[in-house]
Amino acid sequence: MKTATLNKSDIGKCIDLLVQADLRVIAPRLQPQLDEDGPDSIDVLTFTEVKSGDDHQVGEGLLPLNGVKEFLFAKHEPLFAYEKRGKKIEIIPVHHEYPQTVIIGVRPCDAASIASLESVFSDANAGFEDPFFTERRSRTTFITYSCTAPDSSCFCTSVNLSPDSAKGSDLHLTEIGDGRLHVEVITKAGEAVAKQLQDLLEGEGDRGAREKAGAEVTEKLTRIRDSAPIMDWLMDTANFDDEMWQRLGEKCIGCGACTFVCPTCHCFDIVDENKGSKGYRVKFWDSCQFDHFTLHASGHNPRDWQYKRYRNRFNCKFKIYPEKFETPGCVGCGRCIRACPVNLDITEYMAEVAHKAANPNAMKADPDFE
Amino acid sequence: MIYHVSPTGVSLKDETNNKGITSVSNIYQPDLMTITKVIQEAPGIKTFHLQFQDENVAKNFSFQTGQFGEYSAFGAGESTFCIASSPTRPDHIECCFRETGKNTAALANLTEGDTIGFRGPYGNTFPLDDWKGKNLIFIGGGIALPPLRSVIWNCLDLREQDGRFEHISVIYGAKTVQDLVYKRELEEWDQMDNVTMVKTVDPGGETEDWDGHVGFVPHVLENEVKPDPENTIAIVCGPPIMIKFTFEALERLGFKQDQMVTTMENRMKCGIGKCGRCNIGSVYVCIDGPVFTATELAALPNDF
Repeated sequence: MKTATLNKSDIGKCIDLLVQADLRVIAPRLQPQLDEDGPDSIDVLTFTEVKSGDDHQVGEGLLPLNGVKEFLFAKHEPLFAYEKRGKKIEIIPVHHEYPQTVIIGVRPCDAASIASLESVFSDANAGFEDPFFTERRSRTTFITYSCTAPDSSCFCTSVNLSPDSAKGSDLHLTEIGDGRLHVEVITKAGEAVAKQLQDLLEGEGDRGAREKAGAEVTEKLTRIRDSAPIMDWLMDTANFDDEMWQRLGEKCIGCGACTFVCPTCHCFDIVDENKGSKGYRVKFWDSCQFDHFTLHASGHNPRDWQYKRYRNRFNCKFKIYPEKFETPGCVGCGRCIRACPVNLDITEYMAEVAHKAANPNAMKADPDFE
Repeated sequence: MIYHVSPTGVSLKDETNNKGITSVSNIYQPDLMTITKVIQEAPGIKTFHLQFQDENVAKNFSFQTGQFGEYSAFGAGESTFCIASSPTRPDHIECCFRETGKNTAALANLTEGDTIGFRGPYGNTFPLDDWKGKNLIFIGGGIALPPLRSVIWNCLDLREQDGRFEHISVIYGAKTVQDLVYKRELEEWDQMDNVTMVKTVDPGGETEDWDGHVGFVPHVLENEVKPDPENTIAIVCGPPIMIKFTFEALERLGFKQDQMVTTMENRMKCGIGKCGRCNIGSVYVCIDGPVFTATELAALPNDF
């Protein structure tokens, strides 16, 4: 693997070089949210397009609010347009602007989530390829940046990742002290970007310093759970009716915030947005936490209680993704914990499951409880 | 002409460029079909006969019994229905639906000659090869007859060709006499040799001249029809509660779980394993189903 070093202060110059090379560059940036000039305005770290190297927060703060999911799997996108002409319908294709893109400053957890989304949207999933996702994916290069200061919600080490993991990365940067970055070229796409930046890259990297820096940051993580027994415990369908689901899930208010900030949540809805005789068929983010998500036309709802909907989310992360798609369902970014308005905590479930797996006779569900 | 979508808005242009993604023939884009015939089966329930508008699509289209499609009324959305006709009659496909929501209401407003969208066929199929030389008993309730009707005609046609199935029975019930669908075909099956046709309506749903049974399907099955489980496959379709009680009745009659087959009707949007709503545990009904044996269902978590 090719390595090099880069001055941290040169990241702005890197962005300028990439912009000059006619690439769209997306980077973490403090972006005013809500009412931009008004009294409620608040700056939030957000992945957004940057036009110059003066204006970015790569390597600062922790996780941008939005993650990289929305760039590959659009929040809202027309699939095609249609127009009614008497008894006939004409289908008109749509063209989505998506130039060759580099996303810089992606944290390892977000980078690891890309393979998970790809396993859902690529043709590896039952032979159906979502071209909107796969074409965006093929036009996007990820420059990742090892974490330096995990917060109390981070738990990547509990799901077999680490704050310096290069999984899903094309070009990986790690701070090694003295304002220097260790640069690793991971993929061909990463090599192409490295070529654009070659005037700023120097000699060889320092693998020893990079490993040391990674280990030091890993030490800082405080939220550590054992996810190893979870999959086996979930595979036992009797545990699907465990008392834990209702006890812990009762406070969930079904707002869906966790699913919208989650880098691996992939559920969507398809509707027609119609105006007169024309319109678009649109695909947009949906959430398994909403009560109508699985509601049948007959009125029957397989997930008729909120705790069942949360149970589905937990199963999706720790059983469905690994079992069906063979990719991780949870990357430990902690966004769902930070976003939840009622402090519902996925790691609380993880700890509870680990406890139940270790003590199989602890507390059983009451069979008469309905 | 093509619509260009960018962060600044949408514009109609003549051509595409290489700085983006063009949606030509993506997996979410339906083929267009013409409604060639509309039949009012029962109050609020219609059958459509459908033909592809593009000759190439029509030529290359094939499906197997049990598969489903996504049917769209443009401007309203898409709904999931099984293909209700038999692959042995490939001239057109049929769907049968009850008007319950926005899209089914929009579909119901369409008339002969109108255009709808169709994506499919999706999902797995009834394992007809495993049923050779066996008796078949089809058990359906209400609007669940259409999926069964595809496989009933498929089995009847194949039996006519080479006698590959033994006795065929159909037990069908609805709330009231008027709610029965395919009324002509129920008579037709009744007249056929080596076919037993049992009709029932829920108590209170009968009319004065009703010549069928009165009672819920599982009850009529267990107490009046009493099929012999020997060398027999039972194919059940209905609302979840009816499937549950019918499986229980069949087990009391001596049917083993691998002799009982059903087709699940979970809510779907994409139909191709992406949108994430039809799953029962790790099983996606759209990809791994909709046809399941009772053995397969018993292994799934209680989430349907």
